[in-house]
Parts: sequence; C-alpha cells; structure tokens
Amino acid sequence: MPTLVSHPDEVKVVSRRFGMGATDIDKYIELDGYKAVQKAIENGPEWIVNEMKASGLRGRGGAGFPTGMKWSFVPKVSEKPKYVLVNGDESEPGTCKDHVLFLHDPHSVIEGTMIAGLAIGSKVGFIYLRGEYRYLLKIVEKAVADAYAKGYLGKNIFGKEGVDFDIITQTGAGAYEVGEESALMESLEGKRGVPRIKPPFPAVVGLYGGPTVINNAETIANAPHILLMGGEAYAKLGSERNGGTRLFGISGHVERPGVYELPMGYSMRDAIYKVAGGIKDGKKLKAVVPGGSSCPVLKADEIDVGLDFDQMAKAGTMLGSGGIVVLDESVSIVEFALRTIRFYQHESCGWCIPCREGTDWIKKTLTRFHAGGGNKKDIDNIQYLAENMMGRTFCPLGDAAAMPTLGFVKKFRSEFEEYLEGKRVEHPLIQITPIGEPALAGAH
Amino acid sequence: MPDVNFIVDGKKLTAPAGTLLIDACKSAGIEIPAFCYYPGLSLQAACRMCVVRIEKAPKLGTACTTTVAEGMNVTTESPEIAQARKATLQLLLGNHPLDCPVCDAGGECELQDMTFKYGAADSFYAEPKNHREEQKWSPVVYFDRPRCILCYRCVRMCGEGMDIFALGVQNRGSSSIIAPNVAPSESPDHMAALDCEQCGMCIDACPVGALTSGTYRYKTRPWEMNHVATVCTHCGDGCKTTLGVRSVNEGSEIVRGDNRDKSGMNGDFLCNKGRYAFDFANNIERLSSPLVRQSDGKLKPVSWEEALTFAGKKLRELRDAKGANSIGVIGSNRTTNEESYLLQKFARTVIGTNNIDHHRTADFVTLATALQGTTTADGKPRFASQRCVEKSPAILLIGGDPTNEAPLTAWNIRTNVRLNKARLYVANHQDIKLKRQAKAFAPVAEFGYAAFIDSLASANDFSTAVKAEEKLVVVVGNELRGGELAKLIAALPHAKFALLADYANSRGASDMGVLPDVLPGYQSLKGSTLASEYGAAGQSQVADAPGLDLLGMFDAASAGHLSALYVVGSNPIKRFGIDASALKNTFVIVQDMFLTETAVLADVVFPAANLYEKAGSVTNSYGDLQLVAKAADKAGVRSDFELIVRLADKFGHDVKTLVPFGKGLRAAGMSGDMGQTRGAQSGEADRHSVWLTANNLEPKLSPFDPFAILDEIQRVVPGYDKLLRLQLLSGNDQHIAPAASGLVQIQTGRKDLVLPAADTLFTSGSLTRFSPMLQDVQRHQASEHTDHLASAD
Amino acid sequence: MGYFGLRSAVKISQRASYTGDHMSIIKNVTAIAKGMGITLREGFQPTEVENYPDGKGPLRGARLEQRFRGKHELQRDENGLEKCVACFLCAAACPSNCIYIEAAENTETVRISSAERYAKVYNIDYNRCIFCGYCVEACPTDAITHGHGFELASLNATSMVMRKEDLLVSIKTGLPDANKVHAEAVS
Repeated sequence: MPTLVSHPDEVKVVSRRFGMGATDIDKYIELDGYKAVQKAIENGPEWIVNEMKASGLRGRGGAGFPTGMKWSFVPKVSEKPKYVLVNGDESEPGTCKDHVLFLHDPHSVIEGTMIAGLAIGSKVGFIYLRGEYRYLLKIVEKAVADAYAKGYLGKNIFGKEGVDFDIITQTGAGAYEVGEESALMESLEGKRGVPRIKPPFPAVVGLYGGPTVINNAETIANAPHILLMGGEAYAKLGSERNGGTRLFGISGHVERPGVYELPMGYSMRDAIYKVAGGIKDGKKLKAVVPGGSSCPVLKADEIDVGLDFDQMAKAGTMLGSGGIVVLDESVSIVEFALRTIRFYQHESCGWCIPCREGTDWIKKTLTRFHAGGGNKKDIDNIQYLAENMMGRTFCPLGDAAAMPTLGFVKKFRSEFEEYLEGKRVEHPLIQITPIGEPALAGAH
Repeated sequence: MPDVNFIVDGKKLTAPAGTLLIDACKSAGIEIPAFCYYPGLSLQAACRMCVVRIEKAPKLGTACTTTVAEGMNVTTESPEIAQARKATLQLLLGNHPLDCPVCDAGGECELQDMTFKYGAADSFYAEPKNHREEQKWSPVVYFDRPRCILCYRCVRMCGEGMDIFALGVQNRGSSSIIAPNVAPSESPDHMAALDCEQCGMCIDACPVGALTSGTYRYKTRPWEMNHVATVCTHCGDGCKTTLGVRSVNEGSEIVRGDNRDKSGMNGDFLCNKGRYAFDFANNIERLSSPLVRQSDGKLKPVSWEEALTFAGKKLRELRDAKGANSIGVIGSNRTTNEESYLLQKFARTVIGTNNIDHHRTADFVTLATALQGTTTADGKPRFASQRCVEKSPAILLIGGDPTNEAPLTAWNIRTNVRLNKARLYVANHQDIKLKRQAKAFAPVAEFGYAAFIDSLASANDFSTAVKAEEKLVVVVGNELRGGELAKLIAALPHAKFALLADYANSRGASDMGVLPDVLPGYQSLKGSTLASEYGAAGQSQVADAPGLDLLGMFDAASAGHLSALYVVGSNPIKRFGIDASALKNTFVIVQDMFLTETAVLADVVFPAANLYEKAGSVTNSYGDLQLVAKAADKAGVRSDFELIVRLADKFGHDVKTLVPFGKGLRAAGMSGDMGQTRGAQSGEADRHSVWLTANNLEPKLSPFDPFAILDEIQRVVPGYDKLLRLQLLSGNDQHIAPAASGLVQIQTGRKDLVLPAADTLFTSGSLTRFSPMLQDVQRHQASEHTDHLASAD
Repeated sequence: MGYFGLRSAVKISQRASYTGDHMSIIKNVTAIAKGMGITLREGFQPTEVENYPDGKGPLRGARLEQRFRGKHELQRDENGLEKCVACFLCAAACPSNCIYIEAAENTETVRISSAERYAKVYNIDYNRCIFCGYCVEACPTDAITHGHGFELASLNATSMVMRKEDLLVSIKTGLPDANKVHAEAVS
C-alpha cells in the first residue's frame, strides 16, 4: 500500500479526507459527509446542474468535457430508466489517482453518484471498478452497505418520501479498452468490452438503452465538494476555463512520487521539481509523459507549461488522466516506446483494422529494432504507421497508441538513429512494482 | 421520413432523412468501399474503409454510420481519403497471407479489388505474419484463419440473419479470431466445429477467402466458370440460386452454387440445399442410357430409338386393346410447368384418360376454390406471395416448421420482424424455432388444428390480436387441408393466404392440372372451354368424370386392371410404401435420373435431365412464377419435355396437336397460313395460332421448345394468362393467382391425398441419398450433441 | 550480296545504253568481276549457318539463345513437388486460349504441390499456342517456363495437345542429391 504524500503547494479538495479514516461512514459524516446530497435534494436538479456548470469542472478521465454540460444533455423525460455510471476503470499506465480515492474516500464517490442521479432524475447508479482493482471492491462494497444501513441509499433516502437511489458495484475483467465509456457499458451489460458506435451518445442511449451519465470517479467525487463550497468558489481555485483542482499522480524518476492535488494550471516544472522533489539521485531530466501513457511525450525543455487542458493542448500534448511519468537520462526512449506500444498492442480490442493491425505491426517492428535488427527505414515506417492510425480508428485507443509513438519517433529521432549505431543507454527495462494485489494470471 | 438535401462530390442529392450516407451514395451511383458494412445487418464501423470527408467534421467520418443531414457536404474521393484507405489496406495486408493464386476468393475478392484500386500492392511489412492453421468446421464450411480480416460479417449474418449465433469472436486485439460454437474440447474429433443449419451464409458474406465452401474449395477459379441463375429444385420456396458450371467430358458440370446476383425473392439468402445440394447431378449412379427389360427379366441399355419405339408401340397396343382408362400417368413436383402441363395433356389427349396424379404435398385445390370470389379489404386477391412475407406488417403462421421445411419463408419472416418490426403470430403443435420471433404463440394439440380454428371465433388474446391486424398474411403448413383449410380461410375473411408445399414445382404441378379431377388452372373436367378443346384435340374422347388418383392407380394395378403406368420424375413405390408386386402385370415406363425403387420395376427406363439441366418455368408454393435456366448438361440424358413429345410421336400421335410448333400449327393439312383463315371462323382447332397472332408471338419452330407450351399455358390456364414474358425472361418473379371464378366445385368427400414430404434442412426426398454432401452433413450434424433448432426456451 | 551486286550492274548497264555512254561497258564488266569475286571468295569461307539437323549433340546442331521460347516446362520446387498450384492465371492470360487446367486439392496422403491445390490436368494445345510467353509472365509461382524444345511439328493434330506428364520436368534433373531420394519416394 503506497504511503500518502503531501506538499504545502497542494490545494486539498477531493483529497481533503485522505488518511483520515473516512472509509468509516461515521468518520465521513463527521467530515461534512452526506451534507451535499441533502442540500441537493432540497434545491433540486436545476440548481445542481447550474452549480456544476459554474464550477467549470471538466471531466477528470482525460477528455476534459465540462461536467455540468454533460449532465444537462440528459433528456428530462425518458421511457427507459436513466442511469449514473461511475467509471472507475482506471487503466491508463502512469495513472493511480482513482485508486487512492477509492482507498481513502469511497463515500465521496457514492455521494457524488447520488448527486448526479438527482441532477438527471436517475434512480440507479453503477460504480464500475477496474478488474485489477478487485481488492478495492471490498472497500467500496462495505461503504455502499454502510450507506444502505444508514438509510442513505435505497427507498426514501434521508427519510424523504419518493426519493429513491440504488448503487450497484461491479468490476471488469481487466481490459484497458473498457475505460472507454461505451465499451464500459457493453462490459457492464455482460458483453465483450468493445466500444459502441456514436452517435447516439450515452446521454441519449446508454446503458441498457437508457439515457446515461458516465463520469470518471474523481469527477463524481468532486460534486459533493462543489455543492458545499459553491460552484464559483470551486472555479476560482483553478485557471481560466479549467475550474478547481486535480489529482496528479507523479511517478517515475522523482524523489517523492505520489498522488498530489494541485490547482488546475499549476506549473509542470514546479510539480516535478518542487512538489515531487526533483529528479532522483540528482540525474538529469530527459522527458515527461504528462498525462498517462497515451499523451505525447514532452522533452526536458518543454516542461514550462501550466497543468490544465488548454495550456497542455497548446503545448502539443494532453493533460489526459493526470498521470505524470518522469523519465531521467538513464532511460532508453527506444525501450520506453517499445514498452508503451506493447501495452497498447496487448490492450487493443481487435474491433477495427487500424488499431488492431497498426499496434501489432509497430510492436513487431520495434521489438526487432530493439533487439538490434533494425534499420533507418523502420523509423520512417513506424512514423508512417502511427500517422495513419491517428484519427482513423473506431475509438480513441488507436490515437492513444499512435500519439505517444509519434511523439517518441519525432522528438527523439536522433536517439533511434543512435540506437542503430550501437549507442545505447544501458539500462534494464523500467521496473514497475504492481500496486496492491497483482492481477489474475492470464487475464487479458 | 422527409427528404433532405445534401451534396456528395459536388452532386446535389436527395434522400429520406435517416438514410445511411453509404446507401444514399450507392443509390446515386457513388460507390463507397466497405468491408464490414452489409446492408440489413447491424452497423460495425470496424473496417474504416468507408471514411469520407464531411465538411466541418474534425476528422474523416465513416459513411456507414453517418446518416444524411440537411446541407451536409461530403467528399468521397480525395488524396487524403485515398491515403487513409490505402493505409488501412496496407495494415490489413500486413498479416494477410499472399496466397491469392490458390485462394478460392481470388478473382472475386473485395480485398483484392480494393488493393488494386488504392494501389496498396507494395508491402513494406517485414515482420513474421501471424499464422494459424486452417480449420474444417463442417463438411461444407472451412475456415482459413489467417485470411480473415475480421469484418464480422459472418458473425452478424449467423446471429442476426439466421438467428443461430454459431459464430463469435475469441481473444482480443491482433489475436482476435472468429470461432465456431463447438469448442475443440466439446467436439468428438477435438477440432473446432460448427453446429448450425450449415446454410453457408457466412461464406457468402465473407469479403475475402477466409470462409470457403467444402464442396467448391480448390476446384476451379471464379472466371473459369459460367454462372447461370436458376431456381433451386429442392423446397417449395423458390429461391434463386446461381450455379457455377464448367465444361467437362460429359457436358458441363455444376461446381458451385451461390447467390451472387441477389435479385431473387431470397435476396441474400440461400440454405444448405440451395447452395450445395446440386451434387446429385454429378452422381456416379446417374443413368445415362435408356434401359429396356429383356426376356430374361433384366434391364439392358439400348439405343434411344429402340427404347422409344418399343415404349410408344406397346403403350399404343395396350391403349387400343385394354382402353385408355386402363393406363395411368404419374407426374412430378420437380418438373417444369411446361412439362407438367404437357404430361397431363399427353394423358388427356394422347392416351385419353384422366388417370393422372402426382405426389401432392399441399392442398392447393382447396386453397384455390376456397379463395375464389373473395378479396382483401382493399379489393386485392387473397393469394399471398413470398414477397408479402418479407413486407407484410403482420404474419400468422399456422402449422408447419419453415425453419426446417421452407428456410426462405423462415428467413423472410425473421428479416421482416427484425428490420420492419413485423408482428408474427405462431400457432403450432410444436415449439418451432420461429417462436423466438413470435409476438404471440398459441400452442395447438397435435391434430388439433380444427379446434384452434374454432378458437379463432372466440375472444381470446391470440384471436383478438390476430383479427385486429388489417394486413395479415397467413402462412399455412401442410397440417391443414380440405375442410379445415376451407374453414380457416372463412374464419379470417380479409387475410391473404399461402400454403407451404415441399418441392420446387409442387404448386406448378397442381396449377397445371396434374390431378385426376381438375384441368389446368383448377378448371372443371366438364363443361369448361379447355375440356372441349381437349375433347376436340384428342384421339379418343376423354371422359368428363375424374380419373384414378395415385393410390387408385396402384389399387387398380393390384387388381389387375392397370395395363400400363407412365411415371415421370417420381418414386411412388418408396414414397407411398407400395408393394412392388402391385405392378407385376403392368407395363411400366419410368423417366428418372436414377434407378429408384420405382424405376427398377419398370419395363422401360428413360434417363431424364434434372431441373438444373433444362429450361422452363416453375411456380413456388406461393404461386410465384420464375424462369428456370439451363445450367448444366449431361451426355446421355434427355429432358422430360423431349421424352414426352417423342413418346407421343412413337405412340402414333400427331405431335403438332400436342406441342403447337412450326407453320400450320394445329391446322393439319392446311397450307402454311397459320390457320387464321379457318381457325378464326371455326373457333375450334386453330385458336392457338389465332391467339399467337393476336399477341404478336411467333410460332415455335421446334417440338421440344418449352415456350411453345408456355404459350399454350398462357392461353388456357387462368391466372397464367397475366404473366408478362419480359418479366419472366428477365429472371423476375411474378405472382400468379388462380382465376377468381369458374373453378372446379369441390365434391364433398374428396379424398385427402396430401402426403407431406417431411423434409428437413438436410433431406430432399429421393435426391437425399444421391447427394454425398447431404449425407456428409447429416453425419456431421448427428455427431454434434446440441440441438440448435430447438426453441430458445 | 552477289545477287544484289549483279542487279545493280544490270540497272547501270541499262541506263548506259540509253545514254549511249560506251565507256560504261568497261565499268560494267569490272563491276561484274568484282561482284563475282566476292561470291567466289565467300564460297570458300567456313559455313556460318547452323548445321541442323545434321549437327552433333542432342539438339542435332541447333543452337538456342537462353531466352528462346520453346515448348513449356512445368517446374518442380526443391522438394520435388510441383510448383504449379493451379491458379489458372496462365489460362486466363493466354491470348489463344490453349491452356486447359483441372484443379484438385492436396490431401494429407497425396501431396502433389506445396500449396493447397494442384493441377490434376494441365494441357497445352500446341495447335493453338503462339509462344507469346504471357503464361510465363502471369505465373505467380514460376511454375511454367519456356523450355528449349522446338521440334513440335506433327502430322497428327491430336498429338499436339500435351498433357501435364509431357510438360513436367523430371525429378532427376535439377534437384540436390539429398532431396532426390525423398522426392522419388514420395512420387
């Protein structure tokens, strides 16, 4: 179990109950728990949506879609039941923020789910956990059971006549692809985890054909805090058009890796050098993967950028899921690129041609390249393949595989060329220690 | 849906809102390539070939998932799009084996076509290919796994189209693989296997050569064959099948059956028999020479002339000595309309008897007489066509099991329910598979259909729902006939009706009057104009009393009253379980492909051509008339049409009165004036030539031209008078409804001689044992333990 | 050479008589002498044409260039298996429609070619073949090549249809010794 870290620059909103024993429902209630949902019941859906819109909260899963707007898209009247879906399928390499959230503050997710349900008029919420987080299910299930015991979930919650809400927990079977919202719905319905054709979007036709709001766990967990502090106050914590704070998981070659809650727009350089304590063992910084493995890499001289969706896009990369991976000079980019594409090749669902064949092809070429059988043409081929995967695939997984590959080949082309000449960084593949219990052997 | 206007490649187009862009473009003649898109199946958007540039969209969009919208501006061909498609092809070809020279799809492969079009032929793929061994899933379906491009057409076709769900995807990513429903661990030989209807629809849908047909694989190449679209000879549904034929020593041989033009009533569909069960035609046991029984009691091959002369003379002797009514004629439900008509005309005018019958598989006489004079609510005839089953908003299925016995009917019902949300009502004594599509199911006791028809009159949920349907098509299985059928028709006064019969031309044989008690078109033996025309044409006066039916003939034979029996394409000894000794004193002539149980008893056996080896027309169970085109050819056999005409000639009959051909036609002895001079006034003998002239038709020059008889059918058979030659010859189906009035009056106490053939998906009457494919598939299915035809619940 | 020399001499003499130039008679005689001189000299040179069919060796004196397009040969691979996979591309490419193929499938026990399919029947009708070489160009497996066989004339047209047995190269030639024994055993 990773130890909790903290730094004075942090602005603790979502993480304010971390390490305070808030898994216990009484402790949670003591720390202002379940107040926001009662406030929400009193003030009604329109107020909730307006507060969310005012907060400027954008989806914490990676795409950064404004949450209030997403909730307002759900039709008021629907023949089929509406659903709230919490995406806890946190599978992006380098990302471990939802993990600590479920570990330390599961009730905030439950409360947020209820608020979303109230906002859209849904009576059922699902919390979907990543297959590899099966051990977290115990914690979440206990929290749900406690909430039921208190009468916060079920029929007539908080004693309010006619206000019902149920929460069902579920884990996946361990597929990265299921982090995509429509694939998650397929998985939850018991089918193969492959994405659906859009439109129709989940807000109109989602889980079991009903209108569905699907949000990242961190997004959902922000909702109670926003309602308590007020949307505008939350917005002020962050930068322009990027309201609030965000959990950043800083990992790799830094002195103090961990999950930190920083205001949106916080400088990446400060996050690495101040908050995370700088590069380990006094080595030099080589590159940063800024928001989970699918984001294009930043070189050491490109890290003077604010950590919000817009500034990162301007820098040619993405904020993604907030998993900052710091690489020092000892890392071979060829090896790192291979390791990245190996992941995407393994996780491609096989649905569409460019992703299925492209990831496989790049992996094969890079494997051969890495083993010393490469040539200059291979670098061009990898770039050509990645360029032709971009924007051509059914779901964003293809882009997620192509973008970092393109980043490596374009920004570190010289290193690929030097690799051919035998000038290699002698370093074993980066050792990653699995957090918590390992995944089931043989599971895909 | 209101129409919307949009622009594609600068062309202004209009299509109903909600139309898919790919379909809208196709109807405007703009072809957008796609592997995974298949009309009528669910959308996949997996192949990324149909990418187009839609104005204002951030990236290329897929035309197969985009619906047209007002003002949309689309570009379907540009360097950017061509590059996207080329790259997709390059990616696909990375792991695709380059074995086009041996691949069955080579020459008709969508991947090949696209590779040529987008110039992705040069590969820079230098990695080892993912290879997997080929699998044999069943005797008729093979899967060459590396060739698969994972378009999922087969998976959807099997699940959505066939409602079987025998195919699925295993593994993920680049190890994804299509797999059948029987895992190696469950199969007797520890190989993955397919337990399904073996229809081969997955093979048809496959855009590449991944799924190949067990009967065709590695035999030839597509361009080496001639492709002939004709009608399947097996069940009564009337599917069009395209036969690939190639030249061999003995003529031309069928090597493949498929459904490539998709213009028939069956659309995409073809079942196991339609696709593969042509192999009886190439069976080694096929007769190829006439046989005559010698004094030693053995059948010996003789020349055609000898056999025909012997048979004709002997038949004449027996007719003259024992009388016309001592001779019986048995027709077939697989011969063409022309042959059936000709055979009954032979019986009635050459021999001069009404002793003619065939193996009846549905009661079309009752259907025609019960529906005569009635119309639907909007004044239309009440005979349903196969197309109605595909389009009608509501269908009532009473009896029968179309999934097994009439697969196209089942397909059309399923498609209609799936795509048009049609309401299906099923009443059956079994839990048939179509129950899965049914909105309501009424269980019926076995032999309890009379009670069910009575219950329609009372107000229960089922009958209320059925009677509330304004446009109802009732499909009736062969459990209902005679009085029960008439009662059912009366109980649903505005519905359209169709009967399910068992063979390609069961309906045609009935319509053409291969029955002892009615003339062609269900006209009366007594008093109808056709009766008097036959009377005038015949050599001996034909009686106006009904002749012997099929069983009556054998009774007469047993009693020693049947001097001769002429059997065309039928095996009554086996089918009706008749004791061979019944025919010991009867002179028997049999025309058949094989030495069947009936043929071995014959004195003369003529080797006959099958439906794939001749031209003509057939009428399916629903009354849809279609053209039969000659596909194959076999040395040593003759069509039944030719044999009947030549037998009549050897009988000593003027064949011009049997088949109106050549100049002079019926006006024997007159100079070649087409008979108008006399015929128009006399009103008797030359009506045919007058009618031909009036309809701008040419007289036929050959006595073996089936169209000479089709002319006559058109002239004398009510219902068939409406057929359009252009439609027929274009290969289109036309629905034939018998005359609205003037049909035979059914006598009470008419014998029920309908004997359902009870064929399944893998049997086809006597042909079953001559088709090695059907035998193989039966063995394969017997080794699988699950029952895929069982209802879901 | 000599013949043309003579002709031009005659032409010149005609023109000379028309013009009445008597000096040209001497010119004509010298020209004839010169021409005949060349003829005589060439007559004693060694023979330049090929001495077919009276020459030595199996070709009886015929000498063929490497790329001469003669009677076809169906090749075998290094294992002695037939290279032809019966893809019908040669038949499709053939402008005179002289190639007839029937394909069959290799089985576990009977393996004729290295791919799934082989040519059960492979006939070339040399009554029709125009030796254009399109079949060789079309062949994806290099199975059909033009050999150097050229003595194809016959008084019997039916003998001009060559079967696969007539076209296939023998196992004995063109195989490494190690493979020969195996190949002969399987065939």
